[in-house]
Amino acid sequence: MSLLEARGITKRFPGVVALDAVDLRFERGEVHCIVGENGAGKSTLVKVLTGIYRPDEGDLHYDGETPPAIGYVPQELNLFDHMTVAENMFLPLENGALFRRKTLEEAARPFLKDLKMTCAPEDLVRDISVAEKQLLQIARALASRRSDILILDEPTASLTATEIERLFAIVEELQARGTAIVFITHRLDEVMRLHSVVSVLRNGCVVGNSDGEEVSEAWIVSKMTGKEMDLSTLYRPRTPRGAPVFRVEGLSGDGFEEVSFDLHAGEVLGFAGLVGAGRSEVLQTLFGMRKPTAGQAWFDGEPWVFNKPARAISKGVMYLSEERKAHGIFPQMSVRQNVGAGLLRDVARLGVVSNAREAEATAKIIGDYRVKTASSETKIMNLSGGNQQKVLIGRGLMANPRVMIFDEPTRGIDVNAKDEIYRLMQQVAEDQQIAVVLISSEIEELLKCSNRVLSLYDGRINAEIAAEELSEERLLSSIINTGGASDATAANREDAHV
Amino acid sequence: MSDGLVNVTQRRGFNLKGGGQIVGVLIAFLVICVVASLVAPQFLTSYNMTIISRDLAFIGIVAIAQGMLLLLGDIDVSIGAIAGLCGIVCTKLLVDAQLDPVLAISAGLAVGAIAGAVNGTIITMFNLNSLVVTIGMLSVYSGLNLWITKGRTIVGLPKEVTVLGGGTLMGVPVPVYIMAGVFLVILFLTTKTVYGRRLYAVGNSREAAKIIGIHEQRVRITAYAVAGALAGLAGMLLCFRLVSAQASMGQSWLLPSIAAPVIGGIATTGGIGTIWGALLGAAIIAVIGNVIVLGGVDVYLQQVVTGAIVVIAVALDAITRKMGRG
Repeated sequence: MSLLEARGITKRFPGVVALDAVDLRFERGEVHCIVGENGAGKSTLVKVLTGIYRPDEGDLHYDGETPPAIGYVPQELNLFDHMTVAENMFLPLENGALFRRKTLEEAARPFLKDLKMTCAPEDLVRDISVAEKQLLQIARALASRRSDILILDEPTASLTATEIERLFAIVEELQARGTAIVFITHRLDEVMRLHSVVSVLRNGCVVGNSDGEEVSEAWIVSKMTGKEMDLSTLYRPRTPRGAPVFRVEGLSGDGFEEVSFDLHAGEVLGFAGLVGAGRSEVLQTLFGMRKPTAGQAWFDGEPWVFNKPARAISKGVMYLSEERKAHGIFPQMSVRQNVGAGLLRDVARLGVVSNAREAEATAKIIGDYRVKTASSETKIMNLSGGNQQKVLIGRGLMANPRVMIFDEPTRGIDVNAKDEIYRLMQQVAEDQQIAVVLISSEIEELLKCSNRVLSLYDGRINAEIAAEELSEERLLSSIINTGGASDATAANREDAHV
Repeated sequence: MSDGLVNVTQRRGFNLKGGGQIVGVLIAFLVICVVASLVAPQFLTSYNMTIISRDLAFIGIVAIAQGMLLLLGDIDVSIGAIAGLCGIVCTKLLVDAQLDPVLAISAGLAVGAIAGAVNGTIITMFNLNSLVVTIGMLSVYSGLNLWITKGRTIVGLPKEVTVLGGGTLMGVPVPVYIMAGVFLVILFLTTKTVYGRRLYAVGNSREAAKIIGIHEQRVRITAYAVAGALAGLAGMLLCFRLVSAQASMGQSWLLPSIAAPVIGGIATTGGIGTIWGALLGAAIIAVIGNVIVLGGVDVYLQQVVTGAIVVIAVALDAITRKMGRG
């Protein structure tokens, strides 16, 4: 009997099976690494283990009298900045109504020492480093309930190499003391360093589970890939690409460094990478939403002025945000007014908006892009995600852009609408010679749509992959930066289109 | 007037809030009027109507000004103090400098616009909370009012201007015409112009507005300036009506300026509602204030009642909105 065992866990959400009959065991003194792409089911698994979700099928078993205490350290920082380290560690202070600051601080000390933290219990959290904050979250998980199982969700994301070493030493010590560690990560070097057991998740299934000799980076990549992809229809522009529109050299900013690339008219250039790799940041800097710290760019051979979005738009550069709800639509306004807001120069005369012209432009968008809406007067928030996206794309295209930046254009959009958006990107590149940038976390999407893919890792370009080399394994290896993993199996998926 | 209201809500023109909301407010207004006429027989007399409409004129202008800011998700609680400042400046110019009324009123409007723009610039430039900043500015402008007047009442306004505040035209107080003019201009501005679209866009989502190239700072500062100028107009009219100026003028407008648009369905979070709501909300507040007096409620309880009505209206709005979603 294991410390904790998941048997046949299935969890469904409307339209998806997030976990599909998952069997996993967690043993004392083991580091159990869980690997998988975005959306493979890792976070759902954690939520089932910690009791946030109740599984639709299957159960959790444990060997003791009482269920094991589980400590969970989330990926994002979740601390009270204006309270002390000690207070953060012991909140919500369940023992009694009064507490003495000194008692709390004394209680905190051993944990800080254990984790080799340099901050004092009385320090305010806002004053300690990001790495110490990350460690504090671990200390909190250990302090609040002497955890039998400690779940670490991508704990190294914001740590430097030395800090990572410190964390690993702590993990190993906890392991030696008999704690079961669940380590969720995207970084295969960490897996290779720490693992006792590796489980690979794909589409909600455990597709690989091993503590044996065969575990290697190549083994993990081979398990992670092989997701069923229908690559029979590709949406890559087939016309030859035109002249370069953008040339970017050595661009650096918050979250990325030394990024250089060319963007040509009539091509779809994919940007691949993990969440936080700096993809959106690069393009948002070019668009004027962020400030560059170094580097230059040229637009049609002229030096590009990094300014505000309004200026980029006047040059014909459009950006569609990944946060469609927060940064794309005007939720309380009608479809017509949403269209008009982006085309005010075209639908107004002497500062007065013509409802008729607005309606005309809207009707054209609704017709051309087959937007499903009751009428152009419907509030845009009542449209489905795919239809909202089509309205935004249509509005952008009406302004005759030169460059369209699509940031995760199909997030939260159903399958059929996805294909329509892919076709749209292809059409505008082919027919209007628009330079299209596609930022995406979905490998399938990048494979289907891009003429070329740039991969970012930790804010730097680590690979440029031409169409003829594009394959799932090649792309995945660069996204998770394993470098060596070469592909043989996926090469035959390439077809005559290219 | 009610014909016009029903008309606009049924038209396909500008239904940001759905026609239903404003019709609901209109029905509430009519119900209150019916109840009022039953409770107090004097309610429907033409004399009383004149009193109500004069109250409405002042509350209406500041409610429209504040309504514009609320549509942006902004607020200016110093609006009453700005009104006072403009009134005082204009009166001083007329009385002490014997300035031409047109110039004096223009100067008053300019002071209001500048005071509003200062608020807007501080808020948008440093990305500060508009409530906190304007609470501070409330103190600044009120302090200026005391300093300029030295706490004394300024008297001696010429007849040409006092008629604007106290006169009637065809039995209707002159300020009512001015308020109607303000209402039509701002309604046109918010629903028909490019600026109005940008205002709603910024109120709906500042980020989305920026991404399509709207200069959200400019839009917001402009709205603060317009609101300041309108408050100034109301403040000057009050001086003309009272035939004097004093430091405390406009202070009592803070609550109705916020309450009226909210009662009328303009969400404080921005982007929802229309200027019609500000007007109807102001009408409701004016009528309730009048009925409390007619009904013989203790003067000292009047504030309690108006405050309670505002809180109830806000809560009702939130509840209906939640039900609408669910």
